[in-house]
Amino acid sequence: MLSRRFKEQGKGSRGGRPGHARRLGIGALALAAALAIAACGGSGVESSGSTDVQTVKVTGKPSGDLTISNWPLYIDNKTVPDFEKATGVHVKYIEDVNDNAEFFGKVQPLLAQGQSGGRSIFVVTDWMAKKMYDLGYVQNLDKSAIPNVKKNLLPAFSHPTFDPNRDFSVPWQSGMTGLIVRTDLAPNVKSICDLFDPKYKGKVDMLTEIPDTVPLVMKCMGVNLDHATVDDWLAAIDKIKGAAESGQIRRFTGNDYARDLTSGDVDAVIGWSGDAVQLQASNPDIKFVMPKEGCMIFSDNMVIPVGAPNPTAAEAWMNYVYDPKNQAQITDYNYYFSPVSGVKPILQKIDPKAANSQLIFPTKSFTKTCDVAPTLTPDELQQVTQAFDAVVSG
Amino acid sequence: MTATRRRLTPYVLLAPGALWLIVFFVVPMYYMVRLSLDAGTLETGFRFNWQFSNYKDALSLYDSQFLRSFYYAGLATLVALLIGYPLAYAIAFKAGKWKNAMLFAVVAPFFTTYLIRTLAWETILSDQSPVVKTLNSLSLTSNGRVLATSGAVIAGITYNFLPFMVLPIYASLERIDERLIEAAKDLYASSRAAFVRVTLPLSAPGMVAGTLLTFIPAAGDYVNAFFLGGTNNKMIGNTIQGLYLTQRDYPAAAALSFVLMALIMVAVFVYIRFAGSEALMGEEAVGA
Repeated sequence: MLSRRFKEQGKGSRGGRPGHARRLGIGALALAAALAIAACGGSGVESSGSTDVQTVKVTGKPSGDLTISNWPLYIDNKTVPDFEKATGVHVKYIEDVNDNAEFFGKVQPLLAQGQSGGRSIFVVTDWMAKKMYDLGYVQNLDKSAIPNVKKNLLPAFSHPTFDPNRDFSVPWQSGMTGLIVRTDLAPNVKSICDLFDPKYKGKVDMLTEIPDTVPLVMKCMGVNLDHATVDDWLAAIDKIKGAAESGQIRRFTGNDYARDLTSGDVDAVIGWSGDAVQLQASNPDIKFVMPKEGCMIFSDNMVIPVGAPNPTAAEAWMNYVYDPKNQAQITDYNYYFSPVSGVKPILQKIDPKAANSQLIFPTKSFTKTCDVAPTLTPDELQQVTQAFDAVVSG
Repeated sequence: MTATRRRLTPYVLLAPGALWLIVFFVVPMYYMVRLSLDAGTLETGFRFNWQFSNYKDALSLYDSQFLRSFYYAGLATLVALLIGYPLAYAIAFKAGKWKNAMLFAVVAPFFTTYLIRTLAWETILSDQSPVVKTLNSLSLTSNGRVLATSGAVIAGITYNFLPFMVLPIYASLERIDERLIEAAKDLYASSRAAFVRVTLPLSAPGMVAGTLLTFIPAAGDYVNAFFLGGTNNKMIGNTIQGLYLTQRDYPAAAALSFVLMALIMVAVFVYIRFAGSEALMGEEAVGA
C-alpha cells in the first residue's frame, strides 16, 4: 500500500534574509512541504523458493479448526455450517483472494518460510496453482482421503496440462471467459476481434487477468493456442497496447466490469460466465456471448499450502464438497460450472432454470472451440507479465 | 538548575515532534531508499545490491507517465487557482453574513471521503447519465463521453483539491487591513489598480500556499485517473500502485516513488524561488 503524507515544516530564512519567511505569512505553512511516499511492509523481504514438494499427511478423523481462503461470492451461506455439523470441524472461511497476483504477493513471504498464515486451503486459478507448486509452496495431496474426488471429478477436469494427475489441486469451480455484451447497445458484437472495431471505441473493457485476456486476443489473431510461442503472447499484448493507447479499450478491470455494463458505459467486455448469469438477473439485456473464436475455460483450484495446519480437516472439506448433493448447493448459488458429476439431476429438482442453462451445464458442441490457457515457463510468464502490466498501468 | 532547565526546554518541547518525524518519516524513507537499490524478484528474493539501474529504468520506462502527471497536476492547479481566487475573494469581502455558510460549503465535502466523492463523479458522469446526455445534445463532448478522458481526470483533481486552494487564499485575504485599500483609493487608485497593487500582492502568500497544497498531492494522485480516466490517462501514481500491488516489483516501485518525490521537491523549490521573488511578493506585508 502506498500512503501519502504531508510533511509540513516551517520555512527558515533563505539567503540570509530573515524578514522573508515572515513576509510569506500563512504561505509558510506549506513551504517546503514534502511529499513522502512511504512503503508499508514488503521491505526487506529476502527469500528463496525450494522446489522439493511435500505431501499431505492425513491422520485419523477430522476435528479442530480449519481456515479456508477463497474468492468473494463463491459459496452459499449454508455449506459451511452444514460441513461443521457433519464433521465437528470448526471452519474459518475467509474471502481474501481477489486477484491471483495480488494474493500471491500477500502470502509469498510466509510461504517462502514454510508457513501458510494459518490457512489450510487456498483457492487459486490454474496457472497460479502451478506457479506455487513449482516454487514448492503447495503440497501433494493424500488421495486416499478424498474418495469423492476420485469418484465424481468430471473427466474433462481430471487431466489438465498444469497438473496431469491432479496430484496437488482439486477444482473448486470452473467457468468460461468470453464476451459479456449489452445486447441492446451493441447487438453485433460476436467475436473478440469485434472489440477492436472502431465502432466500439471507448466502449470496451478487458480483464486484468493475463490468462483470460491475452489468449483470447491471440485467438482473434488466428494463433493456435496449442503451439503459441512467447512471441505470439507478446504480439497479442502489442495489439492490446495499441487499443489501449488509442482509447479503444476504456478500462482494464476485474469483476468491476459489472458496474460499466450496468451503467451502459461499455457495450461489451471480456468477462466470466457466472457473472453474466448473475448480471442478467437484474438486466436481461446483458448476455454472455460465446466468441466466434471460442472461449477460455478456467478453473479455480483448492490447494493445500506448505505449513498448512490440520490437513486432515482440509481433505475432509475437499471430500465433502465433492459430494454432488453438497456441490449442487454451491453451484446453485454461484452459477459457475461445477467440476463434480451428478450435480445436474439434483439441480433439476431444486432449480430447473439453472439446470438447463448452457452456462452452467454447457453441451460439448457449445464449448468445442474453447481452450484452457496454455502454461508458460516461469521466465516466459515473467516476460509476459511485465509487458502486460506496462499496458495496464500505461 | 534553572539555567540548565531553561537550556533544555526547547529540546524537550521539540522531542515529541522530532521523535514522530524520525519514526514516521526518516525510518520509512531509509527503508524506501534501501529497497529502491535492491536487485532480484519476489520469487528469488530481493537483495541489497546498489542497483542504481532501477532509477535509470524508472525514468526511461515511465517518462510519459511522469510528464502526464505533471501536466495534469499543473493544469488542475491553474484551474483551481482561477476558480478558487474569485471564490475566496467573494467569501472574504462580499459574503457578509453568509461568510460562515460559504466557508462551511467549501469544507463540507471533506465530511465524505475522497474516494466516495470520486466514485460519485464516476456515476454522475457515466455515458448514459442525464448530465452527459445534456452535454452531448449541446455538442460539448468530443466523442459522446466525459469519463475516460483527460478532461475528466483534470476536472476530478481540480474538484478534489479545490478547498486546499480556497482556504489559504481566503486566510490571507481575510487578514488584509481594509484601510490599506481605502488609502489606495484616497490616493486616486481605481478599484482595479487598488486590487492589482494592494490586494493581489498581499494575498500572494495564500496563492503560493494554495498552489503548493494543490499541486503536490495532485501530482502523486492515482484515484482520479483510476476512476475517471481511461487506459491512456494513467498517472505515475497508477504506475507505482501497479508495480507494488500487481507486479510486486518493490525496488522499481520504490525507485519511482523516490524519483517522483525528488522531482516534486525540485519543482517546489524552483517555484518558491520564483514566487518568493520581490516581483511577485510586492512590498513587505503589513500587520502580519
